[in-house]
Amino acid sequence: MAGLRRAGPVLLLAAWLCLPLLPVPNFWITLANYAGIAGIVAIGLVVLTGYGGMTSFGQATFMGFGAYTTALLTTQAGLSPWLTLPCAMLAAGLAAVLIGAVTLRLSGHYLALGTLAWAVSLYYVFANLDLFGRNDGISAIPPLRLGSLALTSSRAYFPVVWIAVALVLLATRNLLDSRAGRAIRALRGGTAAACSFGVALPRTRMLAFAYAAVLAGIAGWLYAHMQRSVNPTPFALNASIEYLLMAVVGGAGSLPGALLGAGLVTVVNDLLQDMLPKLLGSSGNYETIVFGALLVLLLQTAPDGLWPLLARRTPRPRPRPLTGGAPLPRRAMPAPGSTVLRAQGLRRSFGGLVAVNDIAFHLDAGEIVGLIGPNGAGKSTTFNLLTGVDRPTAGTVELLGQRLARATPQRVAALGVARSFQHVKLVPGMSVIENVAIGAHLRGRKGPVPALLRLDRAEEAALFTEAASQLGRVGLLAEAHRPADSLALGQQRVVEIARALSLDPALLLLDEPAAGLRHHEKQELAGLLRRLRADGVTILLVEHDMDFVMGLADRLVVMEFGTKLAEGPAAAVRANPAVIEAYLGAPP
Amino acid sequence: MSLLDVAGLNVAYGGIAALHDATLRIGAGEIVTVIGPNGAGKTTLLNAVMGVHPGQGGVHFAGKNLNRLSIEDRVRAGLCLVPEKRELFGSLSVEDNLRLGAFRFRRGPRAAIRSALEEVYALFPRLRERRTQHAATLSGGERQMLAMGRALMARPALLMLDEPSLGLAPLIVREIFRIVAGLRSQGCAILLVEQNARAALAVADRAYVLETGRITLQGPAAELATDPRVIATYLGG
Repeated sequence: MAGLRRAGPVLLLAAWLCLPLLPVPNFWITLANYAGIAGIVAIGLVVLTGYGGMTSFGQATFMGFGAYTTALLTTQAGLSPWLTLPCAMLAAGLAAVLIGAVTLRLSGHYLALGTLAWAVSLYYVFANLDLFGRNDGISAIPPLRLGSLALTSSRAYFPVVWIAVALVLLATRNLLDSRAGRAIRALRGGTAAACSFGVALPRTRMLAFAYAAVLAGIAGWLYAHMQRSVNPTPFALNASIEYLLMAVVGGAGSLPGALLGAGLVTVVNDLLQDMLPKLLGSSGNYETIVFGALLVLLLQTAPDGLWPLLARRTPRPRPRPLTGGAPLPRRAMPAPGSTVLRAQGLRRSFGGLVAVNDIAFHLDAGEIVGLIGPNGAGKSTTFNLLTGVDRPTAGTVELLGQRLARATPQRVAALGVARSFQHVKLVPGMSVIENVAIGAHLRGRKGPVPALLRLDRAEEAALFTEAASQLGRVGLLAEAHRPADSLALGQQRVVEIARALSLDPALLLLDEPAAGLRHHEKQELAGLLRRLRADGVTILLVEHDMDFVMGLADRLVVMEFGTKLAEGPAAAVRANPAVIEAYLGAPP
Repeated sequence: MSLLDVAGLNVAYGGIAALHDATLRIGAGEIVTVIGPNGAGKTTLLNAVMGVHPGQGGVHFAGKNLNRLSIEDRVRAGLCLVPEKRELFGSLSVEDNLRLGAFRFRRGPRAAIRSALEEVYALFPRLRERRTQHAATLSGGERQMLAMGRALMARPALLMLDEPSLGLAPLIVREIFRIVAGLRSQGCAILLVEQNARAALAVADRAYVLETGRITLQGPAAELATDPRVIATYLGG
């Protein structure tokens, strides 16, 4: 079975490459070539939109960069088409980096509109510069050659397109299933969690954007040498919209979906163009109307695209092994009794509201401190100030001897601080183990290029082994391969703890870790936190379950209305009349 | 006759069974709690009864078969769910959130909605103080009060509460349970899923224990509270 899983795609590709040998009309082969080229662009959009959550209306423009690059270099400089492929990829990638540098700081529909503006303006650049042959474009582009054989017919070109599709598919799968790929996928699941574990957001967004553009560049190169002429029209906004459409129709959350969508849109468009005039007995652009109606119907019945409907019948990919990786190096814990964190005069005001008002406290290495207080007292805001998510209006935080002035969450994470969130922030579509592996992001080094070439397997095995051992520690190893969002909410909180532990933290900040857990589960969690304390980890937790926190914490800090109400050992705090009045209530 | 009658309910997520042959009933004006570990299927049970997640098996409410009813029709029949994550309309004011709770009475007399609003404000005076504030600006306890208040605006015969004390400070938890107990006297039946098993068993009439998708124990709440198996796993000594 495992052998079949491995050999299956190869056999499928081999069988597909035999298609031109069959007595299939040329027309269908040409259509398949177009579909393959479009599929490559759509795969880029799956990475960018489906996984990275960024919508682009500029993919055809990047395709244009690839196509015009090879057109110019082969016709003007006389380079061999094979040599211009890297140039085409580079040109598209470089264009994306430049455009991305000024556009990617936008998000949501502003980003989509930004790419739209670029697509419109660059179309006119292609259409109005003499260098690019204005509206006529560039013709007489040499065909690809294998030795003395010129690949001019559709049948000869077919293997080129589809081997390229297969390679792109493989590379993209490799990328998504890697450290860099998980970072891209985390962009969708709420960026707060990703950057709290050291994912550099701007760089990750740029990576997804440039990668999708490079794929479009490859598609442009293929297109130019298939058509052997280029003009601005196929790289206009309309085409970009069509590529986005393909990704959505097929299912933007899956790679095979991109191919399915590309094939379907290409074929249906062409069939309608062909058949409708015959059926209706008059010519006119009826296909647009019918196509639109079909699309509305499809998106109503299958809003996630078509592939998820089919995918139920295909075998699931074999989950990655969770053992056998080399152990990751561990951090040296701060000396017992030394100060891990010191907050002084910490203050945060939102307009006139002071959410945190001159808070001062410290944490010593290897102690568990509970931060308690009524809802809305400023506990979560304090957490955000300590982790660089939010900046204090006044006051200082000193972490492991370093002053955090304008520290980003990434830098705080690199210092060895891991956290969980009051409202669960896991990446929904990703498996539990992949979510936990994001916690170990900073303990890996490999970037996207080794990932594409699968040179990252040793490190990946180490990261997954670490993630699995942390998941085992919290008792959820059995759920490792389930989608994170299919777990009960209480379990998702526990997954967040495993993710935090994967960072190998010196300081662990837990926001209501026991919420939603049952008595027995709370006891297990308390046991785990005690073992961590024994290992030298310092823990600060916000928690409302007093039985849980009183039995666990060495000290308590009580907040009310943003100020510190009390501080001290659990028993003293419990007896403090002010705390009883504000928070605990009189014993029944 | 019981108000809610769940007989042999099965629910699966993508082929994985989450709820297996669950059978449970609630009488009018009764408080019933379902306790069990995380991932046992408690939220799934509430979602299936509400129609949020499709299930297979018989669910009857006030003698009416719910299987083919949409969520809207189930609300109209007198069911209401307060979900685990509260799901408030954050950019609307507190009062608008409450008014939306009475959506099913939108064609009815305005005075009826007005009086329902007054009842909710009487139950949760804090919400009256915050009536013009955006729901997103509320503290955790106020959010839960608003979620419950919004549900009560639909005048349910059965109110389902999913983890009402989640993330709340001890004083507020006590307040919420006091209100839950008070609702019974107004004739509203309650199906309660709650992490704080001690508090849940104290307020409930009857209880079920749900473990890995199956109901493993049931009985009067006071009896279950002294059952050694329940004490060991859910209450502590």
